[in-house]
Amino acid sequence: MSKISTSCGTIAILVTLTAPASISLADGANGHAHRASAETSSTPHASINAGKAGTADSSARTINISMNDNYYEPESVSVKAGETIRFVVQNNGDFVHEFNVGTSAMHTSHQSEMMMMVQHGVLRPNSINMEAAEAMQASMGHGMHDEPNSILLEPGQRGEVIWTFPASSDVEIEFACNVPGHYESGMLGHFSIN
Amino acid sequence: MAHLRSSRVAFFSSCLFIASTIGAMAGEYNLTVDSLTLDTGEFSRSSIGYNGSTEPTTLRFKEGEEVTINVTNNLPVSTSVHWHGLILPFKQDGVPGISFDGIEPGQTFTYRFPIVQSGTYWFHSHSGFQEPDGAYGAIIIEPKRREPFRYDREYVVQLTDAHPHSGDRIMRNLKMMPDYYNRQQRTFFDFLDDVKTDGFGAALTDRRDWGEMRMMPTDVEDLQGFTPLINSKGPAQNWTGLFKPGERVRLRFINSSAMTYFDVRIPGLKMTVVQADGNNVQPVPVDEFRIAVAETYDVIVQPTEDKAFTIFAESMARTAYARGTLATRQGMDAAVPELRSPPLLTMADMGMSHAGMDHASMNHDMPERSEMDHATMGHVNTPEERAPATHTMPDGTVMPGAKHGGVDHASMNHSMPEQNEMDHTAHQTMAQPTDPFYAPGSGLSPSAANGGRFLSYADLKAQKPLYTDREATREIELRLTGNMERYSWSINGVKYDDSDPIRLQYGERVRFKFVNETMMTHPMHLHGMWSILDNGNGAWDPVKHVISVAPGTTVYSETEVDAPGEWAFHCHLSYHAESGMFRKIVVEGGPSEQSATTTEGMEG
Repeated sequence: MSKISTSCGTIAILVTLTAPASISLADGANGHAHRASAETSSTPHASINAGKAGTADSSARTINISMNDNYYEPESVSVKAGETIRFVVQNNGDFVHEFNVGTSAMHTSHQSEMMMMVQHGVLRPNSINMEAAEAMQASMGHGMHDEPNSILLEPGQRGEVIWTFPASSDVEIEFACNVPGHYESGMLGHFSIN
Repeated sequence: MAHLRSSRVAFFSSCLFIASTIGAMAGEYNLTVDSLTLDTGEFSRSSIGYNGSTEPTTLRFKEGEEVTINVTNNLPVSTSVHWHGLILPFKQDGVPGISFDGIEPGQTFTYRFPIVQSGTYWFHSHSGFQEPDGAYGAIIIEPKRREPFRYDREYVVQLTDAHPHSGDRIMRNLKMMPDYYNRQQRTFFDFLDDVKTDGFGAALTDRRDWGEMRMMPTDVEDLQGFTPLINSKGPAQNWTGLFKPGERVRLRFINSSAMTYFDVRIPGLKMTVVQADGNNVQPVPVDEFRIAVAETYDVIVQPTEDKAFTIFAESMARTAYARGTLATRQGMDAAVPELRSPPLLTMADMGMSHAGMDHASMNHDMPERSEMDHATMGHVNTPEERAPATHTMPDGTVMPGAKHGGVDHASMNHSMPEQNEMDHTAHQTMAQPTDPFYAPGSGLSPSAANGGRFLSYADLKAQKPLYTDREATREIELRLTGNMERYSWSINGVKYDDSDPIRLQYGERVRFKFVNETMMTHPMHLHGMWSILDNGNGAWDPVKHVISVAPGTTVYSETEVDAPGEWAFHCHLSYHAESGMFRKIVVEGGPSEQSATTTEGMEG
């Protein structure tokens, strides 16, 4: 727990320190709007560039994010345009929470997938069922994948997201938890890009 | 807005009295109980209200505060104020004949108690039919700690079913003629329709069965002809709450009706339920929810467009609707939906499914699930629970050999632990599952108007459990009974006047088994202690103050007996409680100093 090891792969962002179920959701085959680098998406909202996966070099600033039930600390973060940030995310709550960087449209589109995970028994209030995730992947082609813009953590888990913000400051980007009901009831924070 | 603003003025003016009290966390509040005239837009009648207004007064407390509330009775008759859902010493609970003697005309009674909880609650008179006549208001308690949700503004949305007749007159009429207020009587033409559909023999058998039960399929609401109000405004008066696009708005729904359940929706907006009966629940996004009499639900909505949205609350029997508006400017409105067609009760709601009736009303949902219900039915019908071959009807007659439709939620949930797995193998595009809190085939099973998600009791999971989960120390069976023909309602066949108190021991955990043997839905309210609804969520079973029990079902709730004294326990339908579906609870043992002293002031 005390030492954070950073993986240095090309898009390598997710570092699980305590348990195996630190993951994010993505569509297996084709890019959906929730993918962080939104060039692949065709929906108008998602074509706004929310940034891209960053690489972990020593110059990246670290920001600690605490996930609680059901809110973040802090609830707003200031970054510079084009800056790469290493987010160290700790789930201090009793429930599963997500840290997901994107536009509000990206979050909205991701929420229906998270609801599907609940319906398939993958996502439980305080745990992630990996067997159910595999079954869901097998039957539907949807499942759990590492995505650079998000991390899903069980209670007590810690992980990292390394993200390079867009060069333009006129983009509204939020960090949000898309576990059903959480975003809707206010589990989100805003980035102000200077 | 006006509603909140006026209550805030009341709050600040009452703060002037605090000066001499010790510590910052003590507030003094004043309530007058007044004779008023209510104008619903459809009729006017004399009514009762607080602080000179027919608009419900909102009291705003803080968790941890010691409150002093001076209640001055300006009515010509005795009154009382019950703080619905608040945990407090029993002499402060405001039930005449149990907690105190009531407040005589011209007197001021001073309530004093600590605020040990947070959330949305309400208060109302517990004397006669003053509550149906308008004696109710809202309570908002701000929590000490940050809430697990966030919002930019909030409104109380307090529902009631204002009737042109006084409560006393309604009770007299119901006693004289129980279907006095049922305007949905089945006609000879309905019979001819049924003959066309089902054949003459089946239609006749159906009529004979209902006749033997002395009930009708339309007995969903025994009081009709009312005008539903939101914050004292009728549908045409259109209560309006303002918002700015993009804001999260918390709506604190309170059902202060005498008799009416509402199905609530806001077309165009998803509602995320964050609180039930004042206690935070794990947030559930829904399209519609049913609010039982005396329940509260807090929802968060986020309208992003610069336009109006209709808050639409249909009565469960679809005889009337409450309507309000969320808008960006006063005077805006949105389309008001039509009432949906009224539900008809089925034999399942009588707690007896005739084979021919089950499938007709069940096949609209999940046939797989209904087969599972049958499997568990055998489990419910154990000999010690109910006589297997006979069924005692609400009027005391015994009907032989009817198959039981009552569904046991606890055992059903236990029998389907792999519910999720079952769903994904059987249904890729799954319809809303049947609500397990209704009898299979019930005519009352709700569904969302837009085909989306309708909140079920099964969806409610405590956000942070209030009590450690443990085995109940004993079970008490409460059969909800009645005789519609005499408009007499009771528990275990005994009316309140003829009953002995239910004695509980301080420190025990009691499991109440509610067996609804009537065709009405009963919202059971225990004073002074929480009711933990057994909805199969284990340690997350939600904590409530009202447990609604649908016809033909058995529902369990558990109570940690942690409040000494004497408490009321009753159906919150005003005319059912008054006619006998009511018990006194005596909690024996426990620290006696917890019974706080009460003071009675001089004239106010």
